[in-house]
Amino acid sequence: MLVAGGSAALAAPKAPAAAPDPRAISVHPFTGRRGDTFVATVRGIGLREPTSVFLDRAPLAVTVEGTQPEPPNENAARSKVPFDLVRLRIQAAADARPGRYPFRLVTARGVSNALTIHITDYPVAAEPEGSHETPATAVAVERQPVVFTGRISRRGESDYYVFDAMAGQTLTFEAISGLPAIGAAGSNAPGFDPSLAIYEPSGSWFDPKRVNRIAFNDEPLWTFGQPSDAYLVHKFEKTGRYFLRLEAFSGQGGPDYGYQLKILPGEAPQDTAPPREGWDEHDFPRHLSANRLNDLAERGGRPRDQKSIETYGASLFKFPGTIEGGIARPGEAHRARFHLDGPRDIAIEVETPATAPPLFNPVVRMLNAAGEEVATNVFAGRGACSGALNKSIQAKTIVPVRDPGDYTVEIRDTTSDLAEPGFRYRVQVRPQIPHVGKVRIDEDHVNLAPGGVKTVRVMFDREEDYRGAVVVAVESLPPGVQALAGADFEADKDAPLTASKRERYTARSERIVVVLTASPDAAVTKEPRLARMVVRPVVDGNPGAVVATKDIPVMVVGTP
Amino acid sequence: MHLQSRARKQAVHGSIFSQACHACCAARVRSRLGAGLLLIWQAAWAGPGPVSLKVFPADVTLRGAGATQQFLAIVTGADGAGRDVTASAAWRVSNPDLASIADSARLAAIADGSLTVTATFSGMQAQSPVRIEGSAIARPFSFARDIGAILTKRGCNSAGCHGGVKGRGGLKLSANALYPKDDYEWITQGGGYQVLTTEVKGERIPRVDLQNPASSLLLTKPTMITPHGGGKRFDAGSGDYQAILAWVRSGAPYGAEGRQEKLARLEVYPALATLPVEGQRRLLVTAHFSDGRTEDFTHQVLYASNNADVATVSADGVVSGKRLGETAALIRAAGQVASAGIGVIGPAISNYPDVSRWNFIDESVFSKLKTFHIIPSDIADDAGFLRRVCLDLTGTPPPPERVRQFIAGKDPRKREKVIDALIGSPEFVDYWTFRFSDVFRVAIFANGLMPKWSQKYWEWIRSSIETNRPYDEVARERLSAQGYGPASRHFIPYNQIAPPADAMAEEVRVFMGRRLDCAQCHNHPYENWSQDQFWGMTAFFSRLFKMGSVVFDHPVNMDLSSKDVDGKIELIHPRTKVPVQPALLDGARVNLAPDSNPRKELARWMTQHPYFAEAAVNRVWGQFFGRGIVDPVDDFRSTNPPTHPGLLAALAKDFRDHGYNLRRLMKTIVMSRTYQLSRMPNATNREDAVNYSHSLPRALDAEVLLDAMVDVTGVPETFSTAVTDGSSVGQAPAGTRAINLKDPDMYFSRFLELYGRPSRGSIPERSAKPNLGQALHMLAGSSYVDRLSSKDSRLARLLESGATDAKIFEEFYLAALGRMPAPEETQELRQIVARRGDREAGLREFVWALISCREFAENH
Repeated sequence: MLVAGGSAALAAPKAPAAAPDPRAISVHPFTGRRGDTFVATVRGIGLREPTSVFLDRAPLAVTVEGTQPEPPNENAARSKVPFDLVRLRIQAAADARPGRYPFRLVTARGVSNALTIHITDYPVAAEPEGSHETPATAVAVERQPVVFTGRISRRGESDYYVFDAMAGQTLTFEAISGLPAIGAAGSNAPGFDPSLAIYEPSGSWFDPKRVNRIAFNDEPLWTFGQPSDAYLVHKFEKTGRYFLRLEAFSGQGGPDYGYQLKILPGEAPQDTAPPREGWDEHDFPRHLSANRLNDLAERGGRPRDQKSIETYGASLFKFPGTIEGGIARPGEAHRARFHLDGPRDIAIEVETPATAPPLFNPVVRMLNAAGEEVATNVFAGRGACSGALNKSIQAKTIVPVRDPGDYTVEIRDTTSDLAEPGFRYRVQVRPQIPHVGKVRIDEDHVNLAPGGVKTVRVMFDREEDYRGAVVVAVESLPPGVQALAGADFEADKDAPLTASKRERYTARSERIVVVLTASPDAAVTKEPRLARMVVRPVVDGNPGAVVATKDIPVMVVGTP
Repeated sequence: MHLQSRARKQAVHGSIFSQACHACCAARVRSRLGAGLLLIWQAAWAGPGPVSLKVFPADVTLRGAGATQQFLAIVTGADGAGRDVTASAAWRVSNPDLASIADSARLAAIADGSLTVTATFSGMQAQSPVRIEGSAIARPFSFARDIGAILTKRGCNSAGCHGGVKGRGGLKLSANALYPKDDYEWITQGGGYQVLTTEVKGERIPRVDLQNPASSLLLTKPTMITPHGGGKRFDAGSGDYQAILAWVRSGAPYGAEGRQEKLARLEVYPALATLPVEGQRRLLVTAHFSDGRTEDFTHQVLYASNNADVATVSADGVVSGKRLGETAALIRAAGQVASAGIGVIGPAISNYPDVSRWNFIDESVFSKLKTFHIIPSDIADDAGFLRRVCLDLTGTPPPPERVRQFIAGKDPRKREKVIDALIGSPEFVDYWTFRFSDVFRVAIFANGLMPKWSQKYWEWIRSSIETNRPYDEVARERLSAQGYGPASRHFIPYNQIAPPADAMAEEVRVFMGRRLDCAQCHNHPYENWSQDQFWGMTAFFSRLFKMGSVVFDHPVNMDLSSKDVDGKIELIHPRTKVPVQPALLDGARVNLAPDSNPRKELARWMTQHPYFAEAAVNRVWGQFFGRGIVDPVDDFRSTNPPTHPGLLAALAKDFRDHGYNLRRLMKTIVMSRTYQLSRMPNATNREDAVNYSHSLPRALDAEVLLDAMVDVTGVPETFSTAVTDGSSVGQAPAGTRAINLKDPDMYFSRFLELYGRPSRGSIPERSAKPNLGQALHMLAGSSYVDRLSSKDSRLARLLESGATDAKIFEEFYLAALGRMPAPEETQELRQIVARRGDREAGLREFVWALISCREFAENH
């Protein structure tokens, strides 16, 4: 249904305050082999009396075996709220595809946030009880491939594994965190960032039993928001016995610090989380297809009647066009010329198909016939605190060009000293097409008490001067739950310290508030229902194609 | 008094046992020596009779009207020592029509021709041929040379006077007449100097009066005709007075400026002057001009002693010995500074032993010791050597079983073999990663506020040490780093790009051992570093920029949206307000492509410059001897000359010639006899603290000391991150050594703070000074108390194994001090423990005393 205003829906007696949502923090172990059954424990807050597990099409059968308050311990003592432990029996279907499957606990207080169960093809072994903090107490790796499920149970703990390798043998080691949501890896923020190191028992003059590090890996690249799991491929020079040490980057540890350790023969690809779904035209790795203009037109509520964009590798191209190439030598700059017959509002988009920033940092400049810089993907501004000149490269730039004539697009790496085969780029120069850009819906799940209200914010970008409307529909709500249009307070944003052409790099962002309300007599639901939020542009009175959807589990819960 | 209180009292004061207290004994011995010994040495200085007489310079040409030359007469005695008899010798010239010579041995040219200067002393004669050319040709006047020389010699342009940052009394002069054109303007036009602008402050009052030259302030002030805060600098009627008066009378011209006026360097003879207490020695200063000419400048320079308690230098260059010791004479001429070493030495030693030399280090060190009449100590015993070399190469004391093996070993090459084993050990990698992490400043706040980044930077250093990467390569990569790589992280402290001036000054200090910082705001007041040089070098870093988390050099020829915010990527000279172009320290400008990395060119130049190798070897040398050949190790300057310039040059050459190989350099150092000398002094070297005649005790760095305590007690340290509440607090893995903490600033440690762990907010300078906090921590700190009471300690294990007291004493002595206890020590310990009544408590107190004593806390 489309969002519709209606005062009657809210004309109800004041609802009692809703209980806090159940919060699942971690599950351990979180990995099982397909076809196997294993027991795992969810640790969280407000998880007592779980009634079921919500799987959303996961190839798992999960039953709740029991729940109990967490016994007093060092970690629980610091918390002001009690923790609950929920014991689950998980059966992975024999035909389950290896992957990551979210699940939620359903309790009388509603549905929880999602945790993830990993299903693997490989044999799974649990880290044995006890300490494995020294080579002497290392966990023996009897076979490969194998996946261990372990935990860094307290601060400063490290787990040793011992294995044999042959000269010339290559092994892949991968540690996946069960608590990946970290603010700043290595900081004191919650989260578990595992790191791996391989040691050999080669001793030293001081200590014949000393083990010496021969390989190490933390994730090779780290920026905010990037996964921080450790992945290490090593070819052994000598036949012998080796140790693998797994620890948290900054020595954190506790009951939530579970991990999955893979030890695989050969060079296996890294098991990364699936890429985020959804449209993001300000993300360097996105694909700039030949049908880009049609895709944009559709997101702007227009028909797909645009022509396709040709790809060029030469020094001349026809507007609109895509230039492809790679920076093979340090300091190399590639230039391609094109012609504009008349004034055009153009967009320049940059894709890095192989290596993205901060390793490859493509700077794109558009020069006029006199060699002057007309546009660039470098955004300059003044730092809010220091007033210092800051610059950043952007994946997309829009620019109004008023003078017809010849223009040149120049591409280079930000640095003058670096180049690699992976420094490949695709630069698309095209006319601007107004459209709805990135859409973000901030709610993960909704638990409503009868008569209660919750808001869901839908943020969207107006790209390239999109002036149409945007509509959000909420489908499949539980009986007695309605979606209404709303608004909430949005604080004024400070103006940038110094004027800059921010609008060329940053889309105008707006938000829609969707109010979900349960009628006072709405029936309590036993299971969550997946409500679908659907976002469309509306132009000239006509709704366009769907530009974003999100499924949100919704429950009507009893009053506490 | 039971053991605990007695031992603690003694330990806090230094050591508990007689053999462990050599350091404090040394101080007592020093005070006993006192003045009596000095008198004995002075009386003996006359030494054996003279054998030969020499005149310096041996051959000289005087050019131009009024040219003069100072001569020296040096007598060599039977002991090989030279004595200055210039003042006692009789001087004459072969042709008085050509030149005259005064009793002070200063020759004055009269007419062109050749003659001979003869000195006679004690029945011996020596001669020097002299040529005189162009005696009728007056040298063209040069303000830079003639007036600048007077201002320098009279101290007018010294840092404490008008050569200070803003000058003094309204007159600003460049220090040492480094900028004669500026000086000329200030003198002839007047005006006040301002640091941040070239605009003149206040009314311009010329220091010269062309209408009435004798009334010029430049003459009335230094003669005190007009009150002068700087006092009287010369007499009215003196040569300098007349020279200035004549210049003003002639209209105060700037005069000639060319290569013949450009002073390239000063040469001092002797470079190292030795003399006895109350003896004298004259210095000879020769100026080398840019056109290749030389000229005697002995009487045209300003002399000063670095330590007037040891020796003074008169205004005409005569050094007088005051007490035994070593210092330097500083010589300033217009635009140049030089120094000469001065050794006030003891009596000649008959039968000076023939000390064998194991490599070129010993050649240099022992030659100087012989000149200074100092006999090096014997070779350190095996136990002392092993502990020293283990701590110096790996920061780790040798384990007891290794000490036993080494002492018992009969292999004549066992020292070299153990050195090779240590240099190839993983502990070596740990330790030198720690050392260079200090110098290169691995710290979260210094590396972008990101632990991930600082740890990657640490890994880069570790990998460089592990693979023994050539040091020049390491330097080049760090200096010119771009992108996201680990070596670039030090350019973004606090996640902001480093101010270019700070970045440049740090790199020059780390890799060239020079501190240019003072020249940031003004010409360096004591050195020849100018503000222009500072900013010329800074310009290599001025385009250093950050794009997100990426470090790069902003191209000169690209706007990259700067116009959007009225931004400019250029470096402006803070005083002249003119854009600065990159220029090397020697003033050479570098042609750079507009979109290149200017730091690459700088890195290439820096790593090829002689300063680079000098600074590197000096830094490493300092780690092994507790002081650099130039000390502090990164404070090379003319006013802080090296104690062994020849050794420094030889080490630097060897380092260059062998591919900047750090491990080889270290092996060369520790394989020298100099390094392996005993800590026990002899009668001739007890006072020596700078000539490496014996090993001097050095306090262990906080991290090394803590790790050693862990080794001795067998109880590991726990390092927790600084935040002490919340479930996310981290802790270093069990068994982590202090030197292996990647981000030490993340981990709080009371012990490390008390014992001098430095902040890496700037290049760390460690202090070995003891403090009250250390004493209190020894008594009640957890680092001591918890270790002693641990059930898993070495002591607990020994007790459980049924070890005897003697076995326990031996085991701990070997672990802590790297030696066996002396029989009398064992005997005394037995008695003390027995008196204590409670054996375990007594032994715990023994262990406490051992890890609290100075012998344990020092390397020697």
